[in-house]
Amino acid sequence: MTLLSLTDVSVRYGRLTAVRGVSFSVAENEILFVTGPNGAGKSSLMRAIAGVTHCAAGKITLDGRDITAEKPENIARMGFSMVPEGREVFGSLTVEENLMVGTGMHGGAKRGRIADELASVYDTFPILKERRNGQAGLLSGGQQQMLVIGRALMTQPRLIAIDEPSLGLAPNITDQVYERLIALRAERGLTLLIVEQSSTRAVMVGGRMLLMRGGQIVLDGDARALGNSEAIQAAYFGYEDH
Amino acid sequence: MLQILFDALSLGSLYALGALGIALIFGVMRLVNFAHGDVIAFSVFALLWPSTDALAIVFAGQLPWYLLIPFVLIVGALLSVLCEIVVYRRFRHASPATMMIASFALGFVIRYFLLMLFTSRPKSISLLPALGQPVEIFGARLPLLQLITIVATICILLALTLFLRRTRFGLEMRAAAENFSMARMLGVRANNVIMGAFAISGALAGAIALIFGSQTGTLDIQMGASVMLMAFIATVIGGLGSLPGAVLAGFLLGAASVVMQVFLPIDARPFRDAFVYGAVILVLLFSPQGLISARGTKERV
Amino acid sequence: MTAASPTMSAQAVPPSAVAEHKPARFALARKTIMTPILLSLLLVAIAVLTYLTGSRPFNQTVIDVFVRVTLVVGLYIFIGNSGVLSFGHIAFTCLGGYAAAWLTINPIMKASALPGLPQFILDLRLPYWQSAVIAAIFAGVAALILGKVLMRLSGIAASIATFAVLAMINTIYANWDSVTGGTSSVVGIPIIRTIWPYLIGAIIAIFLAWAHAISRSGLALRAARDEPTAAAASGVDIPRERLVAFVVSGAVMGLGGALTAHSVGVVTPDTFYLGLTFITLSMLVVGGMGSLSGAVIGVVLLSALIQILRWMEAGISIAETTIALPKGVQEIALGVIMIVILALRPSGLLGNREVTLFQRKRNR
Repeated sequence: MTLLSLTDVSVRYGRLTAVRGVSFSVAENEILFVTGPNGAGKSSLMRAIAGVTHCAAGKITLDGRDITAEKPENIARMGFSMVPEGREVFGSLTVEENLMVGTGMHGGAKRGRIADELASVYDTFPILKERRNGQAGLLSGGQQQMLVIGRALMTQPRLIAIDEPSLGLAPNITDQVYERLIALRAERGLTLLIVEQSSTRAVMVGGRMLLMRGGQIVLDGDARALGNSEAIQAAYFGYEDH
Repeated sequence: MLQILFDALSLGSLYALGALGIALIFGVMRLVNFAHGDVIAFSVFALLWPSTDALAIVFAGQLPWYLLIPFVLIVGALLSVLCEIVVYRRFRHASPATMMIASFALGFVIRYFLLMLFTSRPKSISLLPALGQPVEIFGARLPLLQLITIVATICILLALTLFLRRTRFGLEMRAAAENFSMARMLGVRANNVIMGAFAISGALAGAIALIFGSQTGTLDIQMGASVMLMAFIATVIGGLGSLPGAVLAGFLLGAASVVMQVFLPIDARPFRDAFVYGAVILVLLFSPQGLISARGTKERV
Repeated sequence: MTAASPTMSAQAVPPSAVAEHKPARFALARKTIMTPILLSLLLVAIAVLTYLTGSRPFNQTVIDVFVRVTLVVGLYIFIGNSGVLSFGHIAFTCLGGYAAAWLTINPIMKASALPGLPQFILDLRLPYWQSAVIAAIFAGVAALILGKVLMRLSGIAASIATFAVLAMINTIYANWDSVTGGTSSVVGIPIIRTIWPYLIGAIIAIFLAWAHAISRSGLALRAARDEPTAAAASGVDIPRERLVAFVVSGAVMGLGGALTAHSVGVVTPDTFYLGLTFITLSMLVVGGMGSLSGAVIGVVLLSALIQILRWMEAGISIAETTIALPKGVQEIALGVIMIVILALRPSGLLGNREVTLFQRKRNR
């Protein structure tokens, strides 16, 4: 079943077009990598889905509902959790307060699971538990990255979108993050939308992969099948046959 | 000596409460709210019947204090929230300069609305008259009002701190103040947080109006403006958006004013405020982000 | 805006002219000169119209408009080009207004009212146009001194620092009784009732603003406003360019102060305080902060609006019944209209555009 669907989405900043006419859809429980070089428009695309950047054209639906002009908080409340690039922790709040910010949207039944969720996040990232009462702004870059991912998980989303999860993390921690995400996917049917600059991780983990360049999708296919094919090389470095 | 300390604290209380009202709103929507001073005036004029007389015709002022205080606070909060819904909501994406001018224009509207009903003549009123009597503490005779001002301010600050630290709404507000779009991506409702900030800010304006009105015994349409100027400056040197910074800077400014009043040579005393403003410029030169810079606050002006 | 950066202006002129800097500047001047000319023509038209009607109160209204044009254009020179909001510029108007008063009041009156002035000023009595020039220079020098310190700041810290300057100057002028007469009014300034000097003052301000905008400093400053990082990287000394704009605008504000003094014949510290600061800033923002045309048109439109509301407050006779708005409605309506304009056009009526004869699309 299609969970998220984009039709001809464009994003513009003034005269600059960051995303031009992108269409794709994400099925429930799918794992989708969006890769591409710097400036390909990946982050703009993510921000447009999350509702924090205005779509110049096109249509986005989540669970069949049009969210193109929806407020970010309502999109989040529909189960879309976004981890933007740049580790946007609330620096003056404590680590645990950061984790709790996103839990206010659930009422009733789900609220009971907050404690369990907190325990499970602490389980994945023990360092966060150790520093739970410390100021988030004082964490190292890698710890902040763990915090934002944990914070997104705390909202118990159906779809989690992570912009460059491996940025600033030690390789073994990155492995742990991915392990956890994949486990959650199996346990709860979580859908994963992951932005990475390189295709390496996508090839390792498997799943579907989109490749963006110049604001457009240039490749769409199975990550492992695409692998390090010439097509990918061409897309990254622009060697194209004319 | 004790007298100086209490003068400084009570003046600082006013500035701190004012600065807090501005910083709260700045924190969540990067708006420097020039209308705040007029909300202060409005919330206390709401006690009066419209008239042009110098002696206030009180209608709600006869209320016992336990009703009068909430009445003024609620009027302030309601007006402030109304400003948000009617005006500021349309300026969410505007530049800070545009928002500032809009808030000024709104203040202008409120001020002249009051002027239309009450004329510009100051009105004498005795709010909470029981507080005028002096009390003796450690051998110094102090007006009870001054003491109550300080105690009330401390209580307000404590309550606000508890609210911000211990409640979910407070948590969401602190998160939103630091990074509004991230908070929204976590499901924090923008309108609720902003309206909450306006409500608290308006109630603080009501508190200032009560304190100021009972201290001076007169109500003046311009009364908000004088507090506002200093409060505004306190907000900035405290580090815009930083609530503890705003409070600290408010008290510092109060202290600086009182201390200069006492220790400057007689000839220089009329120029006291000029020295205070000079000191403000110095503080800014040495620490442009303010005394306590709000982490993650990006400059947009 | 005529051109956002030096590179853009270079693109706009023929390639042959790019090699040499001066011809490029000349071409830019030719390309943009229509804006100040058209704006001046607008003012001249208003002046001629006023002269022809010959009504005394209307005359005074138009004088006020020209004074405000001078002030708002002065604000634009700094705020529009640097992008830094300043609340302090009316301080320079205050300096200019009082300087004009010191230089033109009858020495006998001065000796009794302002005994603290130095002897050579007490003896002096200059014609109004000389005093206006000196007032402008005095304000410019003050802006240079204060700007040296303030221009190290940027963003909101700079705005607040300018605010502190305004409050500081106001406190000093309101309390230095022997030199400024304290809070009481300084009277006896010769009143100039003809509109032409004010028209000339406003036109000088407009051309000064234009000349600054196309100067190397003005271009660099706007480049820094739009792309701070890039401008700093290409060697633009932002504090220096800001200082230049600050001094030029300070001088124009001083000129405006002198004109204010001569238009009403009285100065008080509160004439030059928050009220004037906000009304002039509002006119600039409503017109469009980044545009010289916006500055002028903002003043003309808002002034017209205020005038119309005043007339309505005074009462309009329709079929022998006079309909008058209650007092205070004028200000309330003004505030509401300003809010509506800003809500509909957040970057002002003209945004960043300038008026020209041809609808060429300039800048962004």
